[in-house]
Amino acid sequence: MQSRPPHLSSQEKENEAKLLNPNPCSSSSPSPSSSATRLWKPAAQRNLRNQWSKYLSQKDRWISASSNGRSHATSLVNAYLSQRYMPEMDLGVLSEMPGIRYKACEKLALQQEQYQSKLLSCYRDMVDVVSHMKNVSASMRCFLKGSADSPLVQFGSHPEDSNDSGDGGGIPVFSYLSIPSFENLGQELLQMFVLELCLKRLLVIELLSISCKESLKGQTSRLSWSDELYLYEFDDLSSINLYSDKQCQPVAPRIVGWEFGNPTSGRTDHVPDREILQVYLTAWLVEVNIDWHRVDQIFALVGEEMHINLS
Amino acid sequence: MEMMVKKYQQKFRKVRDEMDRWEQLQSRFITQFRNASSIIQRLPMLGDSKNYGELAGVHGLKEVLLGKQMESLGSIFCSMRETLKEFHIIVMSLEKIVRDGNQLLKGGSIQPTTHQMQLRVGIRPSVEDCLDGLKSLHEMHLSEYLVKSSAFEALTLNSSASDLGALHQLLVDQPNIPKEEVQFIFNIIFAEEIC
Repeated sequence: MQSRPPHLSSQEKENEAKLLNPNPCSSSSPSPSSSATRLWKPAAQRNLRNQWSKYLSQKDRWISASSNGRSHATSLVNAYLSQRYMPEMDLGVLSEMPGIRYKACEKLALQQEQYQSKLLSCYRDMVDVVSHMKNVSASMRCFLKGSADSPLVQFGSHPEDSNDSGDGGGIPVFSYLSIPSFENLGQELLQMFVLELCLKRLLVIELLSISCKESLKGQTSRLSWSDELYLYEFDDLSSINLYSDKQCQPVAPRIVGWEFGNPTSGRTDHVPDREILQVYLTAWLVEVNIDWHRVDQIFALVGEEMHINLS
Repeated sequence: MEMMVKKYQQKFRKVRDEMDRWEQLQSRFITQFRNASSIIQRLPMLGDSKNYGELAGVHGLKEVLLGKQMESLGSIFCSMRETLKEFHIIVMSLEKIVRDGNQLLKGGSIQPTTHQMQLRVGIRPSVEDCLDGLKSLHEMHLSEYLVKSSAFEALTLNSSASDLGALHQLLVDQPNIPKEEVQFIFNIIFAEEIC
């Protein structure tokens, strides 16, 4: 056994890589030749750094959209309640001005419409954030472009060879984590935001449905779960798996660790009172499906692994 | 004596720095108190299923919402305790300034007479003015620290809205640190700078 065929030594390398990585993904391809691996690593590292920076900026966009949404929702609720209690409100000396209550109500109604459209636009931003996150989480692999034998080795984001799984055979990309591990962390993040988006959608529907005008006329034109809130919303929701083709409506909101409920089970036609609106606002604020502590932890972990600061 | 007064003025400048720091802590503490009290006031409402409207169909929301609010409340309580500790550090630092002030007098080679103690040159303060001023500023902050501590103890899950309102007012007012009195002390000590 003086001269070993080269493919045996690469087999050994693969075994070594498996030892280094305690959880090799079952979908890992056999590791490519060592020279390709050597070139693959920097390309994969560059790609991961890129993708995770995008992840971070999407997270920041979510935070600002969510907080803007909350302030619009709060203003909306305040305007709505002021209008509703206008008849009983003590206006002091102003009460003698002709038509003052009517004018005030008109103005408050106009404000509500403005806040509702702002709220909707924040919701759209949040949908957009989650779509971007979904793209990022699907772009962590790095595939060989062209032939490995060609003098110029290039890498891309799409597989050209069905045997290339783009994960470098499951080896650690930096010092410890493999591509599948990065993907799992990305998925964990994505999942939190997807669930929260769905719950926010329910809140948006309820907040867009409150209006004094309609309740005065006795007819309610409430939005329902199966209504599209903006043009092509369902296309956007489909792309993040939040639309069920079977039920022809978006997937029902759910709390992490709990079963699906029925978003339309408790539907009532009466206008929500002060307490209910307060609970809606609190639910918006608390973001029950997002564990911010864990989010920070994931970014810190990934940042440390990549030697960049993700905070 | 003149040199002595200069040294005391130096100490009052230190006190002023400590009081600026106190003001920062004060506004932080008020914010923390407000956050805690809005959660406390929300809890009964969040605990009642009939307030969930259309959200009633989402399983587990009430439980998780309440759990997360309790978690936030717990961490606000922790931060308030930290802020109280920092208030206490200021009180101790003021106490040390008073002690150093007394030391300054005892450590001197000549013991001043009562007359010297009370002597005011021009609009300059007397040594006694300085010592009294330092002492009262320390006492004010000590008492106010005790008020804040007991207000914090009184803040519980069962506090009613009116309790919370009263506690908030107490914290904002800082009854033991009357602004005019503080200003009066500083006006005497730094009279020459004001003119």
